[in-house]
Amino acid sequence: MMRFVLPVAGLALLFLLPFSIIPALDAEGAAFWQHIFVTIFVFAAMACAWNILGGFAGQLSLGQTIFYGIGGYAAAMLNQHFAIIPWLAGPVGAAVAIVVAIFIAWPCLRLRGPFFALSTIAFLEVIRLLAIHFKDFTGGSAGLPIPMFVGTEMRIGWAWMLFREKENYLFIAFGLMLLCLAASWLVRRSRLGFYLVAVREREDAAKAVGVNTTAVKLSAFALSAALTSLVGTFHGVYLNFIDPETMFSLPLAIQVAMFALIGGLGTVTGPIWGTLLVVPIAEAARGWLGAAANGLHGLVYGVVLVVVVLTMPHGLVGSIGPWLRRTLGLGEADGGSGSIAAPPAAVPSTGRAPVGEPILEARNLVRRFGGLVATSDVSITLRQGEVIGVIGPNGAGKTTLFNLLSGFLPPSSGTVRVRGADGAWQEPSTPHQFAAAGVARTFQVVQPFAGLTVRENVMLGAFHHASSTAEARRIAEEVLATVGLGEAMNMPARSLTIGGAKRLEVARALAMKPRVLLLDEVMAGLNPADVTASVELLKRVRDSGVSIIAIEHVMAAVMALSDHIVVINSGKMIAEGRPAEIARNPAVLEAYLGEDYVHVEH
Amino acid sequence: MDIFLQLIANGVLLGGVFALISIGLTLIFGIVRVVNFAHGELLMVGLYAAWILSSQFGLNPYLAALPLAVVFFGIGAAMQRTIIQPLMGADPHVQIFATVGVGTALANAALMIFSADLRSVNLPWARQATDLFGIASVSRGNLVAFAVSVAATVALMVFLQRTHLGRAIRAVAQNRYAAPLMGIDVNRIYAITFGLGTACVGLAAAVLSPLYPAFPTVGSFFVLIAFVVVVLGGMGSLEGAVIGALIIGLVDSLAGYYIAPDLKEVVYFAIFLGILVVRPAGLYGVRGSE
Repeated sequence: MMRFVLPVAGLALLFLLPFSIIPALDAEGAAFWQHIFVTIFVFAAMACAWNILGGFAGQLSLGQTIFYGIGGYAAAMLNQHFAIIPWLAGPVGAAVAIVVAIFIAWPCLRLRGPFFALSTIAFLEVIRLLAIHFKDFTGGSAGLPIPMFVGTEMRIGWAWMLFREKENYLFIAFGLMLLCLAASWLVRRSRLGFYLVAVREREDAAKAVGVNTTAVKLSAFALSAALTSLVGTFHGVYLNFIDPETMFSLPLAIQVAMFALIGGLGTVTGPIWGTLLVVPIAEAARGWLGAAANGLHGLVYGVVLVVVVLTMPHGLVGSIGPWLRRTLGLGEADGGSGSIAAPPAAVPSTGRAPVGEPILEARNLVRRFGGLVATSDVSITLRQGEVIGVIGPNGAGKTTLFNLLSGFLPPSSGTVRVRGADGAWQEPSTPHQFAAAGVARTFQVVQPFAGLTVRENVMLGAFHHASSTAEARRIAEEVLATVGLGEAMNMPARSLTIGGAKRLEVARALAMKPRVLLLDEVMAGLNPADVTASVELLKRVRDSGVSIIAIEHVMAAVMALSDHIVVINSGKMIAEGRPAEIARNPAVLEAYLGEDYVHVEH
Repeated sequence: MDIFLQLIANGVLLGGVFALISIGLTLIFGIVRVVNFAHGELLMVGLYAAWILSSQFGLNPYLAALPLAVVFFGIGAAMQRTIIQPLMGADPHVQIFATVGVGTALANAALMIFSADLRSVNLPWARQATDLFGIASVSRGNLVAFAVSVAATVALMVFLQRTHLGRAIRAVAQNRYAAPLMGIDVNRIYAITFGLGTACVGLAAAVLSPLYPAFPTVGSFFVLIAFVVVVLGGMGSLEGAVIGALIIGLVDSLAGYYIAPDLKEVVYFAIFLGILVVRPAGLYGVRGSE
């Protein structure tokens, strides 16, 4: 309960400051300060909304004012043409913003980094120019008023969101800020929030744990757009007047992103701290220097941004927050569970079920890269509870085969079928469809979500079937104990050793409760003791009924684990059979050791 | 037909202007791998510099071109050393914001110092029309800008292809980890490249100053076009930037006449978005660099 007291008190203070404290101290200047606080709340709300897309999802949009403008124009146009109150125009604008966001996201979300930012700027420019061009609808560059009087009708009061007393605006602006803050807090704690961070950190690994990355990014874009549009509706009304330059404004879009970055990208409260730091500095500086200082606030924004980026790239919250927690001796709020013992019954190790019906079938897989045939006519059948070892020299095409078996690469020809939990055969084509069909994989080059803790990494796998965050957390803790990472649960994933990172890969895949597990060299680089431990672990996984295909170079492990071995060289299957047969196969010896060696042997 | 030829001539010359601004941007991206969002604001600073030199000291902007380029080389190298270098290993979004911050600060500083008024260099010679082989009538200033643009691009290409330093720069662009193993000081190359890219802007500012007035937001007008040009041509490709600039110049001229003057930007932003979706590497770019 204590952890809610401080934020609530802080927010209450933030509201009371302009609402009653400043007017009590300085009655004459109150209106000015109330205007500044309305501005702060509006910018903070927009920065929070932006942060859902730019921070959590890592999609750096510099066109966010598209949606602010849509909200503003919804208010003004519905007011002008149909005399509709802003409370109804707001949801209409938000709905339009969602549609536009999805339309824009389709091309933009394929792009990364600066190219995404540039494409959002381009959309913003196009929409601004169109708003200027279609005068009949939008009033063109002359803009549209949102007047208090239409003829003899007075459009003042709560229904019209227009007031003579500024303090009423504070309620709405503050409410919008709370709405955006709450949305961002809820998203961060939800499955969607975990998925967004996963997509930001490692898109491929996110796909492997069954995240539909496009859908997740689209949701962030749409939510962020809808919230921003609601803010735009209010602010348009508050300003009494809108035009394309102020509504579809590139400088404002940059400012909003700036506030979030200064406060701390991807943190829940960062955008508010950023706004609270920068806007008052700029306004105070303008107050001291008077109206002559046109452009001063922009100068302050720019300089603060450069200084923050150079000195604390994680922003105020990201840099000062951890330091503050250390200094005050506060632990992580959710920490403390430490290590837990492996639950004895989680993975029973007694008795092995007989190998059953086929569960995954690859037929005549071919994959070409230009002239290179990386996979040439490979067919594999994996049965329930079976372990297939895939061996072959480096560059033989083993990892390409895995990418075909998990949807990361479409085959040039051939099919992959997976038997679902209901017994029906499916032909998945994308990584998340494979995940949904029960196929989990690891990556040869480990792909941890580096910024998340070890537990959070595994929770992302568990979300695949868990119905709640709490359940995902419990599954993650069990699985981590099983693979021997229980102690490291709260460490950031980037601090693991290579052996630890390999086990994390396996844990994340296991947390998905897969029926088919694809392991890509999970024992490479491990010491002999770790290899033995891994073999025991995989035997227990197998005995619990999971079917496994493992690419492996550690021969002792392959021989000990596999029921069936497939040998690949130059993209072709050159041999397959039981481990004992493969060990004597001349073609295999030749592929590994060269022709001369085979002749010497025989 | 006459009007068509006139439009083509205008478009090609305008393309020359765009090319001069874009090659600096594409050079910096190609080698330092940083998208300089402050590029346009540096041009704005250059336009003000040319205006001050001309109005206060009576210096012809064409004579100021080379000195300005040299000074801007220093400004660019200094900017790289102080702001970009510490962020070379950082996330792309941090680099973007650093240059966005520089741009915002410069534009607003100009607003404070010079106000929002337009400041034009008074050089009537440059605005006078001249006849171009009897097919079109174009301003002399545009011809000069086009010629300087062609000369600067050729000089830059020769420098990159033929000199030792130029080869070192290309080596860094191709593999920034292998280059230092060959004895190349990568950080020095970054500073030099940033300087060269910025020098192009200084040169551009001088030759454009008789044609375009200086005002605080002039940079964002040009930089958006430069982004379109550079993405169209392929980020990092000099040839691509020139071709892209000519295409956008022609689009600007033709769309302004045949569609609507206020929609010509919509047309080239539409081209820009189309390119990003269909072929993000651009006309001359290397696939995967996006």
